[in-house]
Amino acid sequence: MDNQLIYAALLPERVSWFILGPLLGLLTAAFFLVMNQPLGASGAYTQTLNFLRRNGYRVIWRIWYFAGMALGGVVVTQFLQDNRGFRSGFDAFRAASPLWLVIPLIFIGSVLIGYGAKVAGGCTSGHGICGVAQRSKSSIVATCTFMSSAIIVTGAIRLISGGNL
Amino acid sequence: MNSRQMNIFGLFFGAGFGGILAAGTLHEYDTIHAMLRLDEFYVYGFMGSGIMVATAALWLFERKQTTTLTGEEIKLQRSKPQTHHIKGAAVFGAGWAIAGTCPAPALVMLASGGLLALIVIPGIFLGIHLASEKGDLEFGDGEHRQVTSSFQN
Repeated sequence: MDNQLIYAALLPERVSWFILGPLLGLLTAAFFLVMNQPLGASGAYTQTLNFLRRNGYRVIWRIWYFAGMALGGVVVTQFLQDNRGFRSGFDAFRAASPLWLVIPLIFIGSVLIGYGAKVAGGCTSGHGICGVAQRSKSSIVATCTFMSSAIIVTGAIRLISGGNL
Repeated sequence: MNSRQMNIFGLFFGAGFGGILAAGTLHEYDTIHAMLRLDEFYVYGFMGSGIMVATAALWLFERKQTTTLTGEEIKLQRSKPQTHHIKGAAVFGAGWAIAGTCPAPALVMLASGGLLALIVIPGIFLGIHLASEKGDLEFGDGEHRQVTSSFQN
């Protein structure tokens, strides 16, 4: 039996942005039509955290939504694409630095992501897509700020790593 | 809508979101890093076209006074920028640049077999926990709103 035929990927390695972007826009709009809520991700982390520590405001369907994001990832990456198996997820970073440096750095980065998203009241999806789409000034300001900050810090990392990253 | 239906819709929309991110490889460090290095247009096109379509649709909903499936008025929210939006977003951007991922793609990274997501996801939870010790920070306009009506039950 030819396994390659059975596992032939339905999706290309990467679907074009002009298909996925508008699709995400429609999903955001549909979310308002059905749930009357924005499609933010960091809020779902907060709800899930509150659920885990049984403290604070929490809405159960947001936890299902949180799990859904991972489920959608499983369906696409494991069944529709041709790149199953375990990896680091950080190929370029791993190529440039040893693991003992990568792990603490991405942990610090992740803490900054969570801390910043909570203080700003949203992340790339909440402010960047849903907030801007609602034409909220605070989201537009937050989005411009994190885009600039990220590009500047990436430039700094590029300098510090001697162009390796 | 009862709570079971809400849970199913939540799971379904989450899966749609995660699936779209996965199909665009937004869960890969390399994709985000190439974007922030200004080497690649892909993510800018992705986000930009997503924002354009969503903005147009929400504008249309507002103009036509479209109601939700359950007949409610669609609630859009707009607030004025405050210092915490800028401070938080500056910190968030730095983390985004270092870790090359953000909250939703981190879950997809784990789903794709990216094992270092096991470092990222607890880190994000810790960051949110540390910020929530700072007192009551309100959710922004793109995050979940506290609803007091019976609709949630």
